This record gives sequence, structure tokens and C-alpha cells, in this order.
Amino acid sequence: MSAREVLLSARGLAVERGSRRVLSDVSLELRKAEALVVVGPNAAGKSTLVRALAGLLDPAAGEVRLLDRALPDWPRDARARALALVSSEEEGPDALSVAERVGLGRYPHRGPFQAMADADDTAIARAIEQTGIAALAGRRLGTLSAGERQLATLARGLAQEPRVLLLDEPAAHLDIGHQLQLFRTLDEVRGRGVGVLAVVHDLARAAQWAERMLLVAGGRIAAEGEPGAVLESAAAQDAFGVSIRGVAIADGGERAWRFEERPRG
Amino acid sequence: MTAARARLAVPLLAGALALALLLATAKGSVALPFAGVLQALAAKLGLSAGETSLDATGQTILFTVRLPRVLLAALVGGGLAVVGAVLQSVFRNPLADTGLLGVGAGASLGAVLAVHAGLASAVFFALPLAAFAGALSAVLAVYFVAGASGRTSLHGLLLTGIAVSALAGALTSVMLVATEEFRVKTVLFWLAGGLEGRGWTHVQAAAVFVLSGVSLLVLLGRPIDVLSLGEEEAASLGLPVRATRLGLLGLAALVSGAATAAAGSVPFVGLMAPHALRPIVGPLSRRLLPAAFLGGALLVVLADLGTRTLSAHYELPLGALTACVGAPYFLLALRANEGRG
Repeated sequence: MSAREVLLSARGLAVERGSRRVLSDVSLELRKAEALVVVGPNAAGKSTLVRALAGLLDPAAGEVRLLDRALPDWPRDARARALALVSSEEEGPDALSVAERVGLGRYPHRGPFQAMADADDTAIARAIEQTGIAALAGRRLGTLSAGERQLATLARGLAQEPRVLLLDEPAAHLDIGHQLQLFRTLDEVRGRGVGVLAVVHDLARAAQWAERMLLVAGGRIAAEGEPGAVLESAAAQDAFGVSIRGVAIADGGERAWRFEERPRG
Repeated sequence: MTAARARLAVPLLAGALALALLLATAKGSVALPFAGVLQALAAKLGLSAGETSLDATGQTILFTVRLPRVLLAALVGGGLAVVGAVLQSVFRNPLADTGLLGVGAGASLGAVLAVHAGLASAVFFALPLAAFAGALSAVLAVYFVAGASGRTSLHGLLLTGIAVSALAGALTSVMLVATEEFRVKTVLFWLAGGLEGRGWTHVQAAAVFVLSGVSLLVLLGRPIDVLSLGEEEAASLGLPVRATRLGLLGLAALVSGAATAAAGSVPFVGLMAPHALRPIVGPLSRRLLPAAFLGGALLVVLADLGTRTLSAHYELPLGALTACVGAPYFLLALRANEGRG
């Protein structure tokens, strides 16, 4: 696993919002085909981390490297071909159709003036297929549920055909069926060598999907490693203020998770 | 789904506009026969030998009064509709419009200043340029106040637009008091909007700015669409967000400035045409902007015809007419928009 190529890395990353430091001394690596999940309590700095990794926020210290090149050195369009960000907060205009929204993911490849080519149509069709929204392709965003809109945003990210996919709570509005579909899609994408980093709220789901877990608390990385070990660490229990216990399920090494409130001291 | 309707929209609108142009050239205080108008136009364009049933007076009315006026109406309407559609994408709000954002008031102020200073009659492009400067100031003020956070709510946008409009309107009134009497009528007339007495020089001035601005905006359709996804997503797709947004607002101000310089304030066209056409052709700019241009042109050509024919005694103000239709339209659209939450 450690032999896999590093796609995205951060060293000593710090981000300030106004004069407040919301992220300090973050170092991480995302490798080829890796499933890396970021968890943490509310306001821990998870979204800030993802945006800084995507180059949308300028770091106050440290640096982010994408494919071994510092992020600010990338031309905008080339960066958008190498790295895609999918956030649950994004909502396109109501009148846009799903297919049109996904098609805008080809902007980094075609720029303002170049005509769309077969490769674009293929990428768009595949992204729509993979996210399971083929039946919605002609619908306008305004007529969709929050979960369906989220899948359309994910499809836009896939249509970018990036090597690194960053997701900020991609499962936030999804029902269980769509959640399973989402993580299966992410695994398919990883099968093509794409490194996937996702902020996920549902700890059990996060542990089930990820190869590696980062716990962010108070703007720092509080724990890192095998998901089960991170969840059961004292750092995780302190960060969330709950007790977390894995219970082995009969077959294989899979665990179910029990979360209980801890009396606040 | 709506692909067939979307493809039909532009040819249908173009056909309707051609008919409206013909109707508007023929009708008025003096009615000209359709056949004569068509023959004279064909002769002028070198399409026929030059036989026309129109007499000399009729030809003078056609070529020096009606035709420039009607073409100017089309340019003004088309330009304002395209600007409305672009503002709606840039501000991510389907109800944004030149009038509501204070752009119209800013353009008027700029133009009134030019008239006051006597520049308008002295320098050929002074009026459109002054209106452009006013429109640009207004749109930048709204952009930096309401859009400072990157996300513009409908309320913030409208309230900022009201404040900017009020300020520009107040300054316009001050200018009005200070303006020499013989110019006051020009100023007043132009605040109400109208195309009375416009000739070919006006058409030329408007055509230069409106057609070049609109062409550039259509060319920039894809960046406009990416921008409509929101600042963050646009940036993550590699779009230089600030530069693009400022460039688009500059072009929008140029076009609306030229339209205002030509016709005064003609409110709600930029709201109605794109709003009505978006459900048919979809929101992608390469398709929406040309359709909006035709729709806006159609609207203002018909409205201008209305100003000349609705009353037997007066010529009605064009801006008042579009406002009488547009304000109720806006209220209904607002209600539908709020209803969806």
C-alpha cells in the first residue's frame, strides 16, 4: 500500500479565516486508488481542510502538492483536470438540467470556446451512468430532491475525470440505498486509480468504506490510521464526547459500532 | 424532452420579430400599406428593380422616421434582455434585472450629467459613454455591497438595488433642478423612456455598442454558465471567478448604457424576456442569450408600437408602458419564486 504513488499531499498546512486560525499544522498524503476518510465533530475544520486541499483557500502556512507540484504553480484548468471537488453545499440553478450540469464538468477540458467532442460525451454519459441518475438526465435541478441534486453534483465531479476526487459530505442528503450506491461508485472510480478523500459524517459508514481515517478536531489532525483503531482511540472519544465501541460481527473482521453519550464533566 | 421546443424557439422568435418589425414600420399616425413598405425595403436592399407603390412622403416617413425608430427599439429591447439574462446568471438570481439593480438609474444619471454638461450634443458617443459610466458605477456598487460575501440573496440584492436606484434618482433630480430650462424637457422625456424623434445616428451609436457587447456575451456563454454554479464550484472548475465576473458586469453595463442612452429608462424588459424563455430553451447561455435578444427585441418593438397607437392624442412614454406590463409580471414571478422557498 505504501508503494502506491502519492497524488496529493499537505505539509504543515495552516489556514486562517480572518484572524482566526481554523486549521493548524496539517500533514497528510493521499495515494493512488486510496479511500481516505476525514471525520471530526462539527466546526472541527473538515470543510476548510478540503477547500484548502482543492486550492480554494490560500494557506497561511505550509503547502499542498498535487502530483508533486505545488498547488499555486498549477494553471487553473490543468488543476481542475487533475482534481475535482464535490461539496454538498453546491446547488446549480434550478432551470439547469441534470445532463447540462454534468456537462459543465467538462469545462476544464474544453475551456470557454472549444467545441465538445466525443470524449466529452462519453465522459458525461459514463458519469451519469455511474451515479445511477440516467433516469433523471433530462430533469431540471429545481424538480429534484436534495439527494438527487447531490448525485448530480457528484456526476459533475466524475465528468471532470480527475485523478484526485475530494468530497465534502457527499452522503449528507442521501437515503440508505443511494448511500450504498454512492460508496460503490467511489470504489469503481478508485478502481481506475483515482485517489478519493471524503469528509463523512456517519462514522460507521466512514469506517466501513475507508482504508484509512483522519480524525480532525480543533483544526488539527488528532488521530490517523486504520479506521477501527481511530474510532476506538481516546482522541476520537474525546473529540466527539461519546464512547465508541466496535463489536465484532460473526463473519470476517467486520465490526458494528456502538456510540453512547458520556456524562459531561 | 424539450429539445424540439428549444430548437424551434429561435426560428419562431425570429419570424415573430420580422412580422412585428414590419407591422411597427407600417403602423403609426400615418399608416403605410404593407405591400408598399415591403416593396420599398426590397428596393433599398437591392432585391428588386425599385418599383414601389409608396409615394415620396411615404418613403420619407418609412426611411427617416419609422425604420430607424423600429430598428432602435429592437436593439434596445434585445440588448436589455441579454443584459438581464447575464445579470441573472452572475448574481445567481432569476429575478435580477437592470431596473431592479439600479443599473437603469445609474445609466440615466450618467446620461443626464452628459446632457447637463452639454456634452451630449457636442460629442457623438458622449451620451452612450456617459450612460455606460453611470451603469457601470451602479452595477459595481451593487456587486461590492450585496455580493461582497460571494453569495447574493434575493433580498440583499433587491435592497441594495433600491438604495443605489434611490441615490442615483436623487442625484438625477438635483441635476434636473440645475439643468437649463431648454434641456429639461429632453431630460424628463428620457427618464420616462421613449424613442420619439430617434434617427439613424442613434441607431448607429446603439448598434456599435449593443451588437458588439451582445456578441461578446454570447461568445462567453460557457464561462457565464460555469459562473452560475456559484463561486466555489466555478473556481474548482478552473474559472478565474473575479476577473470573469467583473468582465461580464462591464459588458453588461456597456450594453445597458447604450440602450439607456438611446431610449431612456425601459424597465423590466431584462426580467421578462429571459424569464419567459428560460423554461423553453433552458438556462445555458449559448441558447438563452440569442433567444432573449429576439424576445426582448420583439417586446420593445411591440411596446413602442403601442406608445404610438394606443392613444390618438399623445405618444405614451415607452418606459411607462413596459413597466405597466413588467411590474405585475415581476410580482407574479416573485410570488412563484418565494412560493418554492
